[in-house]
Amino acid sequence: MSATSGVGRRSVLAGALAAGAVAGTVAAVRNGASPTTPAPATQGFHGVHQAGIVTPKRRCSAFVAFDVMAADRSGLLDLFGTLTDRLRFLVTGGVPDPLGISAPPSDSGVLGPTVPGGTLTALLGAGASLFDDRFGLASAKPLRLSTMTAFPDDDLDPTQCGGDLLLQLEADDTDVLANALRDVARHTRGAMQVRWRIDGFASPPRPVGTPRNLMGFRDGTANPDVTDSRLMDQLLWVGAGQGEPAWATGGSYLAVRLIRMLVEFWDRVSLTEQERMFGRQKDSGAPLDGRTETDVPNFAADPTGDVIPMDAHIRLANPRTAPTADQRLLRRGFNYDRGTDANGNLDMGLVFCAFQQDLERQFVTVQRRLAGEPLVDYIRPFGGGYFFVLPGVRDTNDRYGSGLLP
Amino acid sequence: MEQGSRGRYRAGVAVVATAVALAGLAAWELSGGAQGSASAGAANSAPADYPTLPHTAVQISPSACGAGWTRPTAGLQVFDVTDTGVSPTDVDLLEPATGAVVAEVEGLAPNRSRPMLVRLAPGAYAFRCLQQDVDAVTGPTVAVKGPKGPGTSSESGTGTPAVVPVTQQDLIPATVAYQHWVAGQLPSLVGDVTALETAVSSGDLAGARQRWLTAHLDYERLGAAYGAFGDVDEEINGPRQDSTGFHALEYGLWHGASASSLAPVAAKLRSDVQGLQTSWATVQLDPLVLGVRAHEIVENAIEFELSGRTDYGSDSNLQTVQANLDGTAEVLALVRPLLTSRVDLPSIDAAMAAARSELTTLDGAPPASLSQLQRERLNAVFGNLVEQLAPVAAVLDVRRTT
Repeated sequence: MSATSGVGRRSVLAGALAAGAVAGTVAAVRNGASPTTPAPATQGFHGVHQAGIVTPKRRCSAFVAFDVMAADRSGLLDLFGTLTDRLRFLVTGGVPDPLGISAPPSDSGVLGPTVPGGTLTALLGAGASLFDDRFGLASAKPLRLSTMTAFPDDDLDPTQCGGDLLLQLEADDTDVLANALRDVARHTRGAMQVRWRIDGFASPPRPVGTPRNLMGFRDGTANPDVTDSRLMDQLLWVGAGQGEPAWATGGSYLAVRLIRMLVEFWDRVSLTEQERMFGRQKDSGAPLDGRTETDVPNFAADPTGDVIPMDAHIRLANPRTAPTADQRLLRRGFNYDRGTDANGNLDMGLVFCAFQQDLERQFVTVQRRLAGEPLVDYIRPFGGGYFFVLPGVRDTNDRYGSGLLP
Repeated sequence: MEQGSRGRYRAGVAVVATAVALAGLAAWELSGGAQGSASAGAANSAPADYPTLPHTAVQISPSACGAGWTRPTAGLQVFDVTDTGVSPTDVDLLEPATGAVVAEVEGLAPNRSRPMLVRLAPGAYAFRCLQQDVDAVTGPTVAVKGPKGPGTSSESGTGTPAVVPVTQQDLIPATVAYQHWVAGQLPSLVGDVTALETAVSSGDLAGARQRWLTAHLDYERLGAAYGAFGDVDEEINGPRQDSTGFHALEYGLWHGASASSLAPVAAKLRSDVQGLQTSWATVQLDPLVLGVRAHEIVENAIEFELSGRTDYGSDSNLQTVQANLDGTAEVLALVRPLLTSRVDLPSIDAAMAAARSELTTLDGAPPASLSQLQRERLNAVFGNLVEQLAPVAAVLDVRRTT
């Protein structure tokens, strides 16, 4: 921990002590927040938008960033075709094609002789680097796609950042992910190579409500309602009139942030301090001025942060004001847990994922506002990147990027 | 010579293996087998695998080869082949006009059924039953027509690739040529190892390091992947903890060992390669090794060289890989006539060229020194190369046809 981050922690402690007297006395103010509506049923491979954005999270996920090795535009075209074919098959399921004596089996067999349909959700995104001079795509770059740069509290490892492509795979069982990755890698070895990878998992509700992150807090409570298509058009989807290239319609932007949580340190922090850093109660997930998870915090009624500190995470992230309404984004992160470090501490944390219409207006603006928040002492963002989520593959005649590479 | 620690098992080819299989079969029957007696006549029971596909029960025996295939249909389907004969049988589904095989089941046990998955394009097909110790019998030719009516033809045009099997006879010329090629390489190996030994014993360690590289690349060019040369390969080129061979010398030469401590290691290496040369003259290579070698040399190079695992100080992994590619190219050149109609040779040639070009670009840099992007490119070209080479071993598998 640096000296400055230590200061941040002290200031939270002081705030927590001051706030103790009023805790529990503030009437919860609320309100017409719509209860979390059940998300739409899982979609198949085809659609206007890709699955894996507004579809329910599955239990396991793999985020794999690739660099394209194909030498030219036609190689990239082949790659998009191969990715479409393989992921369509893996999502839809079926009997892997027999190759007779001409080659080894076409399928690993990990999922049995018939690949079960509907067990995989796949999403493909493109990083800004794909639109450099290699494939002649510079003029087709989505308007708001950029390379992720470090925020003040980041500690980025360049080898775990960026990538020409990002594959987000989800399944309810890890063997489905393992099979999908093997299949995709096998068919694309010469055309793309893994740049970085992280696997995540979605926790179940504990005991109810929004699942918790590995700090023990509910994560994603304030997400916009994905069944409100008008709202999604305002916050999530790229569409006409936004200055984007026509091919990008139906796409979205994804910010992935690999955030290690220093859970040992966190577990040595008092409950009050933890709650004041987030601005929520750990047990119920209610904002500190509320009673239930879905209560909307009333920051206006607490202008000096006596109940919810001014630098609490939820207050900085979503001030709940009219001017910040269009900065809301769809968080769809997964927890991760992958071994230990040299100190013997657990390497676990969050694969933070936020979908949105405009990276600068939404994620970047929110993230800038979070700079220096007390929570930064307990987390270490080390990787990730920005990706443009390609429009959906419409039907069996369509493929990824058909508008980008006709 | 052993065929390698990664053995390939061909019950229908090796007489010894057949004997073992029969003995095993007797014990298998006594224990009730895997399926139990209830499903012994498995052709009539509901298919457990591929429940959504059309199934056809077919008899496999010298007297009724292919019996039961009465309703031919194109597309993806399963033949539940049952050995109704008295001994293990290899089963092919082939195009009689060309002898090209679209599906096979090997070592089908008597009174047992196994699924044979195939996608049939319209055409003429027949079953071939190769019962142990009995001449091959080809069943009646069956005409498969395309689906009728509009909108049903999207997948009927392409079937499982049909490949003419390669027999032991087909592979013998190339095997003999490979044996001669290796024999022709051995004198320079022995000469270069002798020069290495001389340098070590005379205390010229700088010269020894140079000669080590020359001699080691001589050896790597032979393509001694996965124990191709048997136990002597372990002695010559095994990991350093064996304290013999090239890698023990390498570690010593690049870690300040004294000439006197290395002299016995160099002498043993020289004696081992001489022994290899002597024994090679009487070796009878199994024809099976050629196809295996064609992809295993590069598999071996990826596992042990591109990983940096066998670098004991010389930083020569990529030069080793170059030598391995030379060895692979030699094998491919010898089997090329067998491959032209069986695999996608242009893609293999392109992948080989890309691998060579990448090595040229990297100019012998140690793998650990490569940037992330350089490493990705290296992995891409070699990953693609082994994918392209994998069908070579599949189609060059030794098969019985008569």
